[in-house]
Amino acid sequence: MGWPVAVRAQLRHLHGTLTHAETNTPLDDAEVSVVWAIGRGQQQRRTRSDATGRFDFRDLPAQPVRLTIRRLGFRPLERTVDLTRDDVVLTLTLTEAPVQLAGVTIQADTVVEALERVAAVSTLDREALNATRGQTLGETIKHLPGVSVIQLGPSIAKPVIRGLNSQRVLVMNGGLRQEDQQWGTEHAPNLDSFDADAITVVRGAATVLYGPDALGGVVRVDHAMVADTGRARGELAFNTFTNSRQGALSFSVQGGGLTLPGVGRTGYRVRVSSRLAGNAATPDYFLSNTGFRELNGSATFGVQRAWGTSELALSHFGTELGVLRQAHAGNFNDLQRAMSTAPRDSAFSYDIGRPNQRVSHTAARWRTTLETASRGEIDLVYGLQFNDRREYDNHGPLRFRNTPAFHLRLFTNSLDARWKHPSWRGLTGTVGTTVMQQGNQTIGKAFLIPGFDLYQGAVFGQEEWSRDRLTVTAGARGDIFQQTTIAFADAGIRSPAGTKSWSGFAGSVGASWRFSDAWQSSVRVARAWRPPTVNERYAQGVHHGSAQYELGQANLRAERSLGVEAGLRYVGTTRSLDVAVYDNTVRDFIYLQPRDPVVTLRGTFPAFNYAQTRARLRGVEVAARWSPVERLELQATGTMVRGTNRATAQPLFDMPADRALLQARVNGRRAALGAWHLGLGSVLVRRQDGVPEGTIYTLPTAGYALLQIEAGTTAARLFRQPIDVSLSVTNALDTRYRDYLSRYRLFVNDPGRDVVMRVRVPIGS
Amino acid sequence: MLIARRVALGASFLALGFVAACGESSTAPGGETELISRVTITFTPVGGGAPITAYIDDPDGNGPQAPSAQVGALSLVAAGSYTGTVKFENRLSNPIEDITEEVLEEANEHRVYYAVAGALAPTGLALTTTDRDPQGRPLGVAFAALVGATAGGQSGNLRVVLCHYDDAPKVGTSTSCQGETDIDVTFAVSARN
Repeated sequence: MGWPVAVRAQLRHLHGTLTHAETNTPLDDAEVSVVWAIGRGQQQRRTRSDATGRFDFRDLPAQPVRLTIRRLGFRPLERTVDLTRDDVVLTLTLTEAPVQLAGVTIQADTVVEALERVAAVSTLDREALNATRGQTLGETIKHLPGVSVIQLGPSIAKPVIRGLNSQRVLVMNGGLRQEDQQWGTEHAPNLDSFDADAITVVRGAATVLYGPDALGGVVRVDHAMVADTGRARGELAFNTFTNSRQGALSFSVQGGGLTLPGVGRTGYRVRVSSRLAGNAATPDYFLSNTGFRELNGSATFGVQRAWGTSELALSHFGTELGVLRQAHAGNFNDLQRAMSTAPRDSAFSYDIGRPNQRVSHTAARWRTTLETASRGEIDLVYGLQFNDRREYDNHGPLRFRNTPAFHLRLFTNSLDARWKHPSWRGLTGTVGTTVMQQGNQTIGKAFLIPGFDLYQGAVFGQEEWSRDRLTVTAGARGDIFQQTTIAFADAGIRSPAGTKSWSGFAGSVGASWRFSDAWQSSVRVARAWRPPTVNERYAQGVHHGSAQYELGQANLRAERSLGVEAGLRYVGTTRSLDVAVYDNTVRDFIYLQPRDPVVTLRGTFPAFNYAQTRARLRGVEVAARWSPVERLELQATGTMVRGTNRATAQPLFDMPADRALLQARVNGRRAALGAWHLGLGSVLVRRQDGVPEGTIYTLPTAGYALLQIEAGTTAARLFRQPIDVSLSVTNALDTRYRDYLSRYRLFVNDPGRDVVMRVRVPIGS
Repeated sequence: MLIARRVALGASFLALGFVAACGESSTAPGGETELISRVTITFTPVGGGAPITAYIDDPDGNGPQAPSAQVGALSLVAAGSYTGTVKFENRLSNPIEDITEEVLEEANEHRVYYAVAGALAPTGLALTTTDRDPQGRPLGVAFAALVGATAGGQSGNLRVVLCHYDDAPKVGTSTSCQGETDIDVTFAVSARN
């Protein structure tokens, strides 16, 4: 890992007021952005001017930044502002003119910036991402406040936000909902983390904007826009990890000036990336069959015209990964034996044997933004996704061993349309609609979930109003789902055909109040819902990783949540603090309830029904930063979640243990060395004893502390070639530990020391 | 106008996508699993006589319903000597599949273990594996059984475990399953004078 949050020694404040050049009245709703150089790359922040024409950026680096102001119907304004020596206050005027677009930016979602004022949101920018390149999406975000991961070794990391995961956490990739059988806790998000230019995590329900899957939160992966002008340039990045002897490589080329017939001037970006890892190592032994290999490619084409922008992205993600052999059990006796015997000291190997997964995700994403001077902005995203998941095991006759035990093929078509309307009586906001169609095929040897057809339609709107120090946001959304399952019956399994519809309403209201330039507080109430997923309704069979028998309930009701959260934020020049607290009640919370064991000729299996209860999730997240002297930066984050089944007064399963992350970092700059840093950090995790009774899967885990060291530099020069290099050591003391959310924790320790080297070489410029 | 044309183009692309993905959903697992729905055990008296046989069925295979009660009583004669076999079948498929053949074909990866419990243990009933895999390790589909001379009137349980080795090495001297369990059933057995 690397340090998750960008750290800078000196922080500056840039604020100002915008007025109409002719009438001298304040201009609200102008988009104000600052861009600055980091190493060879760029970093960007955006905001909007408020009703008094004011805009405000805190926490900027002490260096020259490029300020851009755009407002519908006005000539854009660009200028360089030097923050090297001091904070800057500006008074700027805009003159009326039709808009012109300058394509520079990460195509982020402007609506989220409104959400950001009232909800808990954290973003990993390019610099922070560069520090974690080569790891899975889950590993990349796992140190953000409120975030943890369910892991199956280093190859599978499933994001958990405020204690919720899978079908309750939505992953958005470039404006497209990632549909990759996300209901399975051992199904990691199928996307290439090298391809991300920014990752934003929204903690808490964001269903109004993103739909029912966002009941627990959103992980949003954004990509830099492709500019259709400019010379070709490339980037080569490679990483090595000593623990699993992993190598990762990414190569990308982008440029403008491509001329396509019928389209004209087009920009492009092509990326190929690959990762190869062998068995991970704990301090005492290797974890057998935990290697993985991944090969990904993407091609993006984009145009910027007077009417707006359009981008077509084609991507393919392909992985094969092993699942720890010891965790694969034939029945409950096997599981207990695997838990009580010493881990097998398997040799290191890159080979992947059974059980394993072969997964690919292929997507086409077409995103068009139409910008008009007087009628606002229209954003259209069409996506076609195909997910192919094969899981192999050791069961069955040899001649069928190469037939996957489970084979699921999921096709998804979706269209999202959003209209960001021009400011109207002080209201700014977005209204939108979503349609999605999905088809699932279940093939392979065994039944896991039935095939199905799913249709979804939604309309939503979110508005923001602000005056002086107060900002109020409100949003509402209606969704309709219809799911038709396709019948399956063999001797043991009967899964009926049936069509079921759900509809529901989600809403949120929030307000933020700025006490002073530095202090701000917010409160938000959100109501969310989601229909039960196909596995919750129809799963039937044994999970070989846990030897547990899961039985779906076809008649589950929709899950409904009502959450309250409050935030307090302080951003000063040398200090910042961010505190969030929440209390979320979920009616008809769907969970696995232990039932009588299932006995078959294969033996006895502990069995679970999908059932519903009233659940409550509460928690606190804190992130603080302090720079006592220039060059030194101290950071601390802490996360605490409590989940309760209110019917039984027992804790919920799969709640992350309390954790804190402490970091210290020293920065500097030298001509030959570039911008260097040295860091020291510790992850402290408390014992997890808030566990439900009655099953061995929930046995408590002990607390642990890990030490991490990092050193690196950006824009160093090697043979006149700029280069970014970093070296980091995770679990530096080779500590033996088991994390509560590790699916292997019943059997083996988590991985030990890992020395990671990252090199990034920009080519051309 | 340009925008209108682009939107039209987009709409047709969209329609194409919807058509491409429609009408494909299906639930069609191949069912080629090593499903065993009946385990039959047979004891044949060494000196001749009618074989004694019993079986346990699981009519829903790996489904959530429990297996049936044992059909047939295993009533052996004290001081008797038997040869025996175990048979694994999938009677839920048509035609009926004899999974024992798979076990014999993959003898290097399988082993059947027998364990006696209850009053007959430890000396009332002794089972010895008589067949070997190609590497000379016990297989256990065939066995010899000796009933203790004083076992008359006692009863107990005979547990049959079909063990599957892939990762864990199959060790000839092992006395219990260290691999993955394919079958784990228990028969009631008794000895008479």
